[in-house]
Amino acid sequence: MVVDPRQEQLRVEAIVDEERTFDAGTAAGAPVRQTNLWKDAWFRYIRNRGAVIAGAILLLVILYCIIWPFVSPYDPNAVTFADKNQGPGLSHPLGTDAFGRDLLTRTALGGRVSIGIGFVATLVILLIGIAYGSLAGFIGGKVDNGLMRFLDALYGLPYLPFAIITLAILGNASFWTMVIALSVASWFTTARIVRGQIITLKENDYVRAAKAVGARWYRILGRHLLPNTLGVLVIAIFLELPGVILGEAFLSFIGLGISPPDSSWGQMAEEGRRVYRIVPHVIAIPSIAIATLVLSANFVADGLRDALDPRTRET
Amino acid sequence: MTKFVVRRLVWTVPVILLVILMTFVMMRLIKGNPFRTSERAIPAEIQQNLERKFKLDRPWYVQYANYVKGVATFDLGPSLVLRNRDVNDIVKEHFPKSLELGALSFLFAFVFGIPLGVLAALRANSPLDYGSMFFSNVGFAVPSFLVATLLIYVFSLKLDVGFPTSGWDSWESKVLPTIALGLGPMAYFARLVRGTMLETLQQDYIRTAKAKGLRWGRVITLHVLRNSLIPVVTAAGPILGFLITGSFVIEQIFAIPGIGRYYVTAVTSRDYSVVMGLTVLLSVIVIFANLIVDILYGILDPRTRDART
Repeated sequence: MVVDPRQEQLRVEAIVDEERTFDAGTAAGAPVRQTNLWKDAWFRYIRNRGAVIAGAILLLVILYCIIWPFVSPYDPNAVTFADKNQGPGLSHPLGTDAFGRDLLTRTALGGRVSIGIGFVATLVILLIGIAYGSLAGFIGGKVDNGLMRFLDALYGLPYLPFAIITLAILGNASFWTMVIALSVASWFTTARIVRGQIITLKENDYVRAAKAVGARWYRILGRHLLPNTLGVLVIAIFLELPGVILGEAFLSFIGLGISPPDSSWGQMAEEGRRVYRIVPHVIAIPSIAIATLVLSANFVADGLRDALDPRTRET
Repeated sequence: MTKFVVRRLVWTVPVILLVILMTFVMMRLIKGNPFRTSERAIPAEIQQNLERKFKLDRPWYVQYANYVKGVATFDLGPSLVLRNRDVNDIVKEHFPKSLELGALSFLFAFVFGIPLGVLAALRANSPLDYGSMFFSNVGFAVPSFLVATLLIYVFSLKLDVGFPTSGWDSWESKVLPTIALGLGPMAYFARLVRGTMLETLQQDYIRTAKAKGLRWGRVITLHVLRNSLIPVVTAAGPILGFLITGSFVIEQIFAIPGIGRYYVTAVTSRDYSVVMGLTVLLSVIVIFANLIVDILYGILDPRTRDART
């Protein structure tokens, strides 16, 4: 995936976490108002104006993609040559493409595909990352060392060639093959983050206590360790999502996207590329949609990180 | 320090072997046959001869060993589709253009991104800071194909300032692709530098430098900048990835005969040896870049020598 600075920072923190010995127990003070992590995080999040706006925009874009195709007066696939290549106007707010299809409706449909692939691939990436990272972190020792060495070897490899080869292996490009292709070389960061988190958590007193009272390994992992990585994972979703959506767009743009008539934003951009010299809005609109989504997801990730993990708050 | 460098160097060998193995296995998983397509059926004997010629009839581990030997001697084997062409020829023909594009874009990103980040950090929370951070956030989010097509539309078609829209020969033809590919990394640099600068500005030694009456300009150049730019070295890895990914798209749009564009052609024509050779080449470049970054970082920041081997 396109690695962005904050992701790199998380990775570095994961490395630092590995070395950090946790000094447990702060001074016992006066009883404090009882609250929980998520309530706390929520209050911190809604105080961050930029993150709230970004979250609202993200939600609006998703709702538009889901709802608009049902409401729209236009059939997204109806070809009307009389209306072709219209700029934004009253009857077509975002204009039409080379086949006279309404872009406002098509963008919503394309968004369903792009965002759908984005979220599903992100979930797959998280699942692989959780499995790999918790395995390494929880077992520790030689296994951990070996698994991490393997990860180091793969870290930083360009994902696009491997995604392209994966698509070639799977044959045709459909929703699911895109998901697989985009996950195959993109889970390394998540695995590293999860592992770092587990290693740190493992040293906590409550884990030792659980072990001392005879809790089985799956109980420790499932009840104490994994739930505590949830915060990091929620952040990871919004860190991965932009990269996956851009990746899908790149693959579609170089002609390896899912087959028509289904269309993603990347494919709409690819179609727009053929006519951009005459009507640049056809490529601009799906690209701006991608940029809006990526930008707001980035801000949400920032906000979530500040809210869930104040330790890493940016200056 | 020597020990660190040697250990790091030795570790690179199994990493490269592993990456070649992975690529090798993936290539073998691809169904279909480069010699026989649905339009072009060939007799079984010829098929066998062809497989013998390209040593595709040997067991996989022999093929793998041969391939590793080839990579070690800088021979990536023959193309399966283009007769009388080696993968090496293809690399020689297309790689320099991609390299030049990547290097120019990197330079662009560096020259404009670093000052932008520095300015933003020095005027933190001012309109200038917000403006430049907004710009770099947007620059990071906008897909490079939009940047590229907009640049062509505005500068070549509307303003007609004489930048060609395709090719890679005159310097004019290199301006737009360089900007289009370099904008993302530039935004990355700006954000990273701003972050590290702000962190450095809060250090005790900066306060000391100020307290002992050093001129502010001197503090910035001598203490702040020097220490803030060290973490920027680590950006080389992600930026390289960004440039490789971006070059696939940018070369396509500007019709630059580079590696990224050829890669897609090779995949669609099922020229497996070319795809494999190019993948291995790109991976090895990344691995060596990581190696250099780690060693450089070890020199610049001795604390990391033991942590990152």
